[in-house]
Amino acid sequence: MIKLKGMSDSMLRCVVPEELPSSEITASFGSIMEKGGVILPGAKVVLDFGARVLSEKTICSILSEFVWPSGVSVAAWITYDASSQEILKRAGLVTSEPTSEPGAGISSALVLHRSLRSGQRVEHRGDVIIAGHVNDGAEVLASGNITILGRLNGLVHAGYEGDENTTVVSRSMEALQVRIGGKIGSLDRDAEWWGKHVIVSVRDGVVLIEYWPTIKGELVVKEESA
Amino acid sequence: MAPRVIVVTSGKGGVGKTTATANIATALAGLGKKVVAIDGDVGLRNLDVIMGLENRIVYTLVDAIDGICRLNQALIRDKRIENLYMIPTAQSKTKDAVTSDQMVKVCDELRSDFDYILIDSPAGIESGFRNAAAGADEALVVTTPEVSAVRDADRIIGLLESMEKSPIRLIVNRIRPHMVRKGDMLGVADVLDILAIDLVGMVPDDETVVTSSNKGEPLTLSGNSIAARAFKNIAARIAGEDVPFMNLDVPSGGGLFGFFKRAFGNGR
Repeated sequence: MIKLKGMSDSMLRCVVPEELPSSEITASFGSIMEKGGVILPGAKVVLDFGARVLSEKTICSILSEFVWPSGVSVAAWITYDASSQEILKRAGLVTSEPTSEPGAGISSALVLHRSLRSGQRVEHRGDVIIAGHVNDGAEVLASGNITILGRLNGLVHAGYEGDENTTVVSRSMEALQVRIGGKIGSLDRDAEWWGKHVIVSVRDGVVLIEYWPTIKGELVVKEESA
Repeated sequence: MAPRVIVVTSGKGGVGKTTATANIATALAGLGKKVVAIDGDVGLRNLDVIMGLENRIVYTLVDAIDGICRLNQALIRDKRIENLYMIPTAQSKTKDAVTSDQMVKVCDELRSDFDYILIDSPAGIESGFRNAAAGADEALVVTTPEVSAVRDADRIIGLLESMEKSPIRLIVNRIRPHMVRKGDMLGVADVLDILAIDLVGMVPDDETVVTSSNKGEPLTLSGNSIAARAFKNIAARIAGEDVPFMNLDVPSGGGLFGFFKRAFGNGR
């Protein structure tokens, strides 16, 4: 079943579960139209397909069976499948999460509770947190920081719009390359950071990698009472 | 039992899809199931050679789809073992000769006659793979313990998930225990850690696989080599039996053996 959820900025999020058979997508959008009724016309909607592969045919049928008849305005088409993103982009459709104008030093975060497989790709204006692994062949691009709570084997690019004050944090660093802003840092498999908790950043134009968390501080010595 | 349509796939070429298809189909037939193996690799026909049925081909899958013959005329019965059939593909056509819809129709037509329909998919992620997988409910992903094969398997698993195949299960082929032991090859536990799907079997690297392929006699027909036993175990697990995983002779504490111990809960 497709679910309609409220988002901030008076937007709606239309979540199409990955387990929903493709053959039922059109019918399921139809029932959303019936239930959604008056709230749909004019509403800004994010269509979230998870890691579903979208064919040209599916996209066309969603446009003709849901988007145009319901009167919604689609703010973004979200899929983590890189080839589907290409198809959507070629049609001039937005494939990254809409973000509210960030305040100074604040950007909206995208939190994904999943692993990204080879061929899957996430692009987001803001920070990205992946509660899972980023496998070899998967890509994460963020205009802000990237935090991977699992293993990092794939390609990550923090600050892809040029911000080199961003960082990449990974619980297990197993990628040969990390990109931050316009810099590329490379790593060998026998490097001492391989497989470790790390934080990668750019300082003075150099890509730096360090263990994370860095444990600093002074021990508090309790005064023995007399 | 409801008929099961299973696609055997891998992403990367040369990891043993066709060998696995032939051996698992033969082993399932050995368990008394009625099985048909379909060569889904249009234009690069191999399954018939590995199953030793190439000189029996009259019609192919493409002939049946084009209406030149009926589907059951393209079925070749393996005379060596009861209940085993195969449908060869055309060598002279390209991947475009069969569409997804046609493949779904072929599979549906076979469901009424067979317990298991195994489809050997071509390598790659393009139309050939998609067409071969279209009619299947389940998938077996074959990989070898190499970084490149595992990466491709990961890609294929993502696509299979998106195509709503379930379950998607893993076969790790061509394991060399001594190399795993020395740390020169990924262990099964490492592969599973990356791919995060259920393991249905692991097959050690075994020379008898090559000789059996060349002779056109699937190992599971009569052989009792370690690879033959591994494929028979896989077939039994697919059929729903609870078969313990083989010990591929790796010392305790890590790697394969550590994985078995964890798998059976007696590693504490």
